Amino acid sequence: MKIIDRRKSLEACTEAGWDAFDLLTDEPLSDEDIESLRQVEGSFLYLKQLKKPFFKIENHNYIIKGVKGDPFFRFAVHRDHVGEIEKLVKALS
Amino acid sequence: MIYLNNAATSYPKPGVVKEAYLNALEALPSGQFRSAGVSDNSDIFGLCRKRLGEILGVSESDRIYFASGSTEGLNAVISGLGIRSEQVITTVTEHNSVLRPLYNLPQIKGEPVLLPCDKDGVVSPELFEREAKKGKARALILNHCSNVTGAIQDAAAFGEIAKRYGLLFILDVSQSAGCMEVDADGWNVSALAFTGHKSLMGVQGTGGYYVRGDIPFKPLKYGGTGYDSSRIVYEDEDYEYEVGTQNAAGIVALSAALEWIKEQGINDIVEKEHELTDYFINGLLSVKGVRIFGQELKARGPVVSFNLESFSPSDLAYILQNSYGIVTRAGLHCTPLIHDHIGSGEKGTLRVSFSYFSSKDDAAAVITALKELVG
Repeated sequence: MKIIDRRKSLEACTEAGWDAFDLLTDEPLSDEDIESLRQVEGSFLYLKQLKKPFFKIENHNYIIKGVKGDPFFRFAVHRDHVGEIEKLVKALS
Repeated sequence: MIYLNNAATSYPKPGVVKEAYLNALEALPSGQFRSAGVSDNSDIFGLCRKRLGEILGVSESDRIYFASGSTEGLNAVISGLGIRSEQVITTVTEHNSVLRPLYNLPQIKGEPVLLPCDKDGVVSPELFEREAKKGKARALILNHCSNVTGAIQDAAAFGEIAKRYGLLFILDVSQSAGCMEVDADGWNVSALAFTGHKSLMGVQGTGGYYVRGDIPFKPLKYGGTGYDSSRIVYEDEDYEYEVGTQNAAGIVALSAALEWIKEQGINDIVEKEHELTDYFINGLLSVKGVRIFGQELKARGPVVSFNLESFSPSDLAYILQNSYGIVTRAGLHCTPLIHDHIGSGEKGTLRVSFSYFSSKDDAAAVITALKELVG
């Protein structure tokens, strides 16, 4: 999985002081892709029982969430830590 | 996709609205007081005003003005009445379209008196009377129906108290117009703001406001109206309030929507949406770990807010949309002050909101997804 683009999310968490971006991937997210995100620091949740499985990683500065099969995942970050997105993209590339 | 975010924008629209909108785009352009290109003599603006008057309980329909929606309408009303924010009593249930003008509009900004609400989002008229009695306030601004809990405020009682103490009564009917009775004249309303794209079933970018004829009122904006163009200064304060080219196609669509609502009958709309809301709440109560905000409400619009133990509202909305194809809304809903009072904290709620076109199958799909989620 490669991140090929990023877009400011239309469903921003901005009301609570957060910004959100959708990180677009070169292919739909697979189980392996999602499991590989365990390397990212933070608590890891993966709900495989859902119609389309949902995952979430949360740490002090940001939240990553997405659904298996979608060609994107959400990166929500507090405005004070927007720079974290660059670190994540670098770590995953 | 199942769409349950009708408190933001209703979807789908009645067929006659789509038809009217398309026809308006294909017809020669209409403009008030502008002669060129009008294909017939029908007054689309006046007709829409008349229909709005019927649905909002406003007899002086010529005092209804079009704007881009409630937000512009509220800014126009709040800035035009010559009141300062310190002279305003309002509530913690208000949308940012009221709060932000009060706290930021340069000519009026300040701290209004904020009335609290109970855990269901209901504001007490008695608390308002206690503040009104102090004699410092000149106006009350009230959200008729909460966009968070669906609580319907007793507008008649507030209006009666406002009249008794000589206060202007400004009513925000963004969430109520089109899905419940609104009786501006009967409730002693001095001014109100409405939007076209929610339960009035019009398109985005339509809405407006009403100001009673005997209330002095300055415009928010000035510009061309196509009427008496030689006049630049309004010496006699005989202001014009609709400036620039109006959203004629949107107004034609709104007019068709109002006629559609009249044909359905407001009571039938209320009954259908009420039944669906009750059905949904009963279903929600069977989901483990659910907390409904406004569960005890006796008077409720077609809006239900809730949270689910162990999931943030934004995660829930994300899962419902991306795993189950159900569109809802999460967060503070542009109504930041209510959450401390109803107990939904800084992350807000997940909100499901219905329209006349929502079905029990739609509501059941949410319940099924939530049950799958909690296991």
